[in-house]
Amino acid sequence: MPPKLCALCNTSRPILKRPKTGQQICKSCFFLVFETEVHNTITESQLFQSGDRVAIGASGGKDSTVLAHIMKTLNDRYNYGLDLFLLSIDEGITGYRDDSLETVKQNQKEYNLPLKILSYSELYGWTMDDIVAQVGRKNNCTFCGVFRRQALDRGAAMLGVDHIVTGHNADDVAETVLMNIMRGDIARLGRCTAICTQGEDTIKRSKPFKYTYEKEIVMYAYFKKLTYFSTECIYSPDAYRGHARTFLKDLEAARPSAIIDIIHSGEAFEIRDEVKRGQKLQQTCKRCGYMSSNDLCKACTLLEGLERGMANAGITDKGVKQLNAAGPTPDNLRTIPFFQMNTVGNSGPSPSPNPWPLDSGPSG
Amino acid sequence: MSCENPTTDPDALMNRRPKFDKAKTCIKCKIAEGNIVIRHAVYCKDCFFPLLKTKFKRSLEPFVNRLPNGPRKKALNPSGNLLIGFSGGLGSTVLLDLVHKSYFSHRKPRESGGEVEAVPEQQETGAGDRYRDPRQERVWKKAAVCYVEVAGAFPGMKDRTEDIQRIVESYDDFEFVPLKIEDAFNGEWWESVDQCPSSSLLNFDISNEELPFFQSDSTRLTPLERLHTYLSRLPSPTAIPSTIRTLTRLLLLYTAHSTSSSHLLLGTSLTSLSISLIASVAMGGGFGVSEEVQEEWIPPRSGIEGRKEVGVRVVRPLRDVVNKECATWAWWNGLTVVGQETVPGFKQTIGGLTKDFIIGLERDYPSTVSAIARTCGKLTPKDEAGGQCVMCQRPAQRGMEIWKQRISVRSLADLEEAPSGIPIGTQENQPSLSPYLCYACHATMTSKSSRANPSSTNGPKLPTSTSDSKTVSNLVPLPVWVTARLFGPADKVQAEDPSREGSGDALRDGEVWRNVELGREEMRTAVKDFLLDQDE
Repeated sequence: MPPKLCALCNTSRPILKRPKTGQQICKSCFFLVFETEVHNTITESQLFQSGDRVAIGASGGKDSTVLAHIMKTLNDRYNYGLDLFLLSIDEGITGYRDDSLETVKQNQKEYNLPLKILSYSELYGWTMDDIVAQVGRKNNCTFCGVFRRQALDRGAAMLGVDHIVTGHNADDVAETVLMNIMRGDIARLGRCTAICTQGEDTIKRSKPFKYTYEKEIVMYAYFKKLTYFSTECIYSPDAYRGHARTFLKDLEAARPSAIIDIIHSGEAFEIRDEVKRGQKLQQTCKRCGYMSSNDLCKACTLLEGLERGMANAGITDKGVKQLNAAGPTPDNLRTIPFFQMNTVGNSGPSPSPNPWPLDSGPSG
Repeated sequence: MSCENPTTDPDALMNRRPKFDKAKTCIKCKIAEGNIVIRHAVYCKDCFFPLLKTKFKRSLEPFVNRLPNGPRKKALNPSGNLLIGFSGGLGSTVLLDLVHKSYFSHRKPRESGGEVEAVPEQQETGAGDRYRDPRQERVWKKAAVCYVEVAGAFPGMKDRTEDIQRIVESYDDFEFVPLKIEDAFNGEWWESVDQCPSSSLLNFDISNEELPFFQSDSTRLTPLERLHTYLSRLPSPTAIPSTIRTLTRLLLLYTAHSTSSSHLLLGTSLTSLSISLIASVAMGGGFGVSEEVQEEWIPPRSGIEGRKEVGVRVVRPLRDVVNKECATWAWWNGLTVVGQETVPGFKQTIGGLTKDFIIGLERDYPSTVSAIARTCGKLTPKDEAGGQCVMCQRPAQRGMEIWKQRISVRSLADLEEAPSGIPIGTQENQPSLSPYLCYACHATMTSKSSRANPSSTNGPKLPTSTSDSKTVSNLVPLPVWVTARLFGPADKVQAEDPSREGSGDALRDGEVWRNVELGREEMRTAVKDFLLDQDE
């Protein structure tokens, strides 16, 4: 029996079976199709325009490490004409971020990309270690998630970029679709399959790996010998998401196309108009200017709760009532700096001076 | 949302509510001691029965009259008869009992016999109704119960038709319509449901993603052998129960149509509805997710001259009732539940995994199942349907092939130019099934398992195809309604390449014959790459 050949080039020996298509292919064909599919996603969705300043949300994990590599590769290969930056958020969890931030700094050197590391303590005056010390292990994910989202936008505004790309992959998107159906989160269900989200007051955010399987990202990193850290957060794996993730992995094992089939499902439906009309309108936070559904954004509410020693204030309705009952907000309360979109034209100077210097990394 | 580490904190996932709200007294009558807890509320036995009956009627009666969601007080005047889909499972056993108790027992047969005629909306509360009390009359003139036996598909599975028949005959007012799953491949059954017979059969090549189809000479095969061939060639274990489900659904719909039924009732409980919604999403059926809750099926043209096609409304009156309530109703009423045999290997399919997952969630967090159903009830398809899928006959979305080609490069030829909209693996002049399918049915027929084949140890156990034990052909027969549609005026749902417009029109105009009239040699040449053995 002749040896089996790569299903694509038909000349080399296959070394892997693609989780996405089931085809057995060789290493060079895998690199080619992996990169081309991301390129197709970018061009079909018209994510970028030449001259765009794009920040890569870099955590040092596998997704963002491969994303940084791919963005650099495709930008050079197809002349996207993008100014790329690396943007990292330091949550301030001892022993969790330190190593992965080193990976990001290594990427900075390797790809010669400017890096900005923004820390929770710099922005909010609290590290996650401090927060956990006050609120305990319960609910601390709420703080971290809300703070990280804002921090990325704020870091991007500081860099004066037009666009943030994140390493969310197909598994993440599929899992979010399932999770939002199961917990009845209509608003998020409506937007979680969009490749690019942009509100009036937020920086464009997109997911070039939307159709890329997590397993293939790992394979790519493995064959390209990219280093990354896969540290689990020491405080709290997201338990609810954990349920959905375990279920999704089971579905994928039963039929690998399940991931892409769920995304297809998520793209095929939308929220009925009459339901949409009942949803809260987006506004801006009266205290910090960030997008919000209420007068105060979630981050400001959480921060006020922390500052006033009422950590539940931003988490439960009861907590909000207790906070309101405790009297007006003190004048000297620590607040988050006012958010301003800091867009930079392709040719013009930054409309406001950037007070936040770029990190120079270990090389200085 | 709570997000703690469940390994260190057992209460991290969600706060477990107390099983009993505040007291042990029934929250309805506030007198009797409670007998059952339903989603944290306590009810006594006497209050439970009207409670369930109300939930059942609330989900059914707004959809009885031709215009759905009419005023609740309006007299019930369906435009046709009633068909109840009965599987022998808990839900359909309870449904049968509720329908009988609510609308048939102690009620007089409806006036005027003969053909069922549509009642115009304005006559529904007209002068004719003034002298009769609609509450004393049956709502539907006739009711039938249809059971589809699937035992033929799986070796060793017990045929339970007789048990089912005994149950149905214990109710005086229902006609029993027994079917077999292989009827989906049976021309005689097709004629018996008043459809135009096809003089020939079609086979399709399941090994090619484009699914090209050919005229078949395999009339020598029995319907059961055709079913076995079909199931044994499916590419994943998941595809088998999902296909059985689709075939059963279509058998019921055509039976409803042939019995002039305006309504087909299914015993889907809230629990099973949530399972099918999530499973449907996981199998790519997001476009039709609202159809899982409520659907209006209009059959494609039957081809019989002068026949007026009337739609069938599929209603799931137990969609607000959880399994526990069904089980309690059955227990307190002494109902016999025949039960359904599980398809072997079902646990490792998407349907089986979803069922285990949702039932596990329901046990600890009873509100999850209703959250799923409520959320899906708020969804609607994003685009207009491009046509009706020839397999499941649900609305199908356009552009499936282009989408698939864009997100996954399957050949180096695709790299030479940007995705152009030419479907994958197109064969010149060879009509194919793919453009007539919805995304979910296409995935069922083409999406491979990570394991070798569905007949492997993990998948549902199937009989070996009897068409030819030595030849493993990739040619698979099509269900009768698919053949009928492809010979007739089927609409393509997938976007076409303009350069192939001619061949598309030929198919659309019902001129498939001109393209499929191939000699044996030509057929062999066209599919030789896909045949594992040259025997066929």
